[in-house]
Amino acid sequence: MRWPDLLGSAVANTRRAKIRATLTVLAVFIGAFALTLTSGMGTGVNRYIDDTVAAFGDADALYVQKSQPLIELSATSGPRAYDPDTTRIRTGFGVSFEGLTTEDIETIEGIDGVRSVKPMYSVAPTYLEAADGSRFQLSPGIPVDAVGLQMVAGGAPVAGRDEIAVPDSWVADLGFASAQDAVGGRVDVVMTNMAEEDRAFPATISGVTQASLVGTSLNPIPSDSFNERLYDYQVSGVPEEVPESFAMATVTVEDMARAPGIQARLEEHGMLGLTVEDQLGMFRAVINAIVWILNACAVIALVAAGLGIVNTLLMSVQERTREIGLMKAMGMSGGKVFGLFSLEAVFIGFLGAVVGAVTGVLGGSALSGALAEGFLSGLPGLALFAFEPWRVALIVLSVMGIAFLAGTIPAVRAARKDPIASLRHE
Amino acid sequence: MTSAVLEAESLVKIYGRGDSRFAALRGVDLRIRHGESVAVVGKSGSGKSTLMHLLALLDAPTHGTVSLDGRPAASMTARELNETRNAAFGFVFQQFYLTPDQTVLENVVLPLKIAGVRPGARRRRALDVLERLEVADKASSRAADLSGGQKQRVALARALVNDPSVIFADEPTGNLDSATGAVVQDLLFDLHREHGITLVVVTHDEDLAGRCGRQVHLHDGLVVDGAVAPAGAGAPGTDTGVVVGAAGGAR
Repeated sequence: MRWPDLLGSAVANTRRAKIRATLTVLAVFIGAFALTLTSGMGTGVNRYIDDTVAAFGDADALYVQKSQPLIELSATSGPRAYDPDTTRIRTGFGVSFEGLTTEDIETIEGIDGVRSVKPMYSVAPTYLEAADGSRFQLSPGIPVDAVGLQMVAGGAPVAGRDEIAVPDSWVADLGFASAQDAVGGRVDVVMTNMAEEDRAFPATISGVTQASLVGTSLNPIPSDSFNERLYDYQVSGVPEEVPESFAMATVTVEDMARAPGIQARLEEHGMLGLTVEDQLGMFRAVINAIVWILNACAVIALVAAGLGIVNTLLMSVQERTREIGLMKAMGMSGGKVFGLFSLEAVFIGFLGAVVGAVTGVLGGSALSGALAEGFLSGLPGLALFAFEPWRVALIVLSVMGIAFLAGTIPAVRAARKDPIASLRHE
Repeated sequence: MTSAVLEAESLVKIYGRGDSRFAALRGVDLRIRHGESVAVVGKSGSGKSTLMHLLALLDAPTHGTVSLDGRPAASMTARELNETRNAAFGFVFQQFYLTPDQTVLENVVLPLKIAGVRPGARRRRALDVLERLEVADKASSRAADLSGGQKQRVALARALVNDPSVIFADEPTGNLDSATGAVVQDLLFDLHREHGITLVVVTHDEDLAGRCGRQVHLHDGLVVDGAVAPAGAGAPGTDTGVVVGAAGGAR
């Protein structure tokens, strides 16, 4: 028997016990549908993370800090020896921590593979004043984060101009009717210098940022040059020069593949360099764990469906014993009989998988559209279900694989039948 | 004298072991020449079905050899055995064994499908055979919708479609009324005469056995003299026919 005939016969055979085959296909369908949805959710959430990675920072950059814990976490660690050369950065919590010095910046610049280093000035404005005079606390974001911001209106703050981007949720409180209305609007950033003198710095709103799962877009972000101006005023007002100290530096590397080597070198110099991926890794791991648990549930459903295939085919083999005997008497080999029944199983799996995958993709897309309007409207840009063709194809193929495995039990039974005994079967 | 198409030498077939051990055949010699028609007759349990299965290469004897055109079956691989049964043999059974929910045509092409003949050619050949057996008009009917006589014609068409050199018929008229049975018999012997197909018929039917060129009587797993009347014999007239037929079969 040639393969097209074998396949044709297998397909025709599934139609002989219609109700039974339909129920089995339905069982496979449920499993495939669930697997498509859970895998689509994994893809959707991870794609959202990928999109927001940009908002979290530049994916091609290392974020370097002095390596030290803010709080001593270990009960056994003793006091740290004082080093007069270190510079301390005051934070709003009364805790000061060691910043990067200009020497550190030079060290980083000397590391092989580093293209550029941009120190981050830590700016702590006193308050932000809206056009109507209302005042708000302000802890500005980092200018480098502006790279990946997703904007509701306007654009990212441009270096060289006194510009600031504000979050969508701030628009109403700042006295603007809409995000579009806010673009081009004015706010004052009020700074206090070392001599306790206040000064207002006017800024133009360059754009309104979209909220996202990661926190960077929850703070107003000044432009690079505006941030530096604010910093210059912050450290002014005292006779002696405050030693320069940076909370963090952004390091652009020539090749992201060499990042681990650079990270090792930074560690040797007492600094800690993290990529965006490092910072997001934990988050991604949790999401993936949840998705895999859901996938496992779907796979359990598929295994149950596989048992359904075993059952329905065992019944077919039983019912068609005489037919099997006849075919074997007429010279059909055991291998071809095996092929006939396992193809029937694969076809049932294929039907269930295709219908399940298509329904899953359509249903998931519709559901994620509905959720984006309603329940998940607080996370714009998140499509809960997203589908990649190769992943859906992989699901269909795996379901067919499971069906094949399930089919082997009845198929082997059919292949081993003795023609004479089978022909006598009542 | 034509050569033997099937040759059995001291065939012994034992089923089971120990207490359930049962010898279905206890040393059977048989030569069937090309174009011959042979009836294997005997009581149930005499071993006639077992003999047919061994001759049709569906089963292997415990001792002894079956040769096809001089070649011992024991020397053939499983694949050669399958190919031989597919290409050289046709089977007709008492219960027809048609797949009820398939069309007549689908049932008839089955041996060609197994042989790997392409769809166009097998359809043409099947229609030819159905034409020859005068059931071509039923080609697209469901097998379940046919009468008993039509079913056996279709089964006969299926046995003939691959141009076999031997047809094994196991009680081919057993499930038919006498009139229909007679028609099927006529068909079988027409094919035998016109196409020189060797016929091996296992039957209780005296009339059918009598039309064969030779009768082989089995009793308790051994070939007995043709003069021994088979148990449950019908009219005495047919008995005579059997004896004459047996005498006519050259040995």
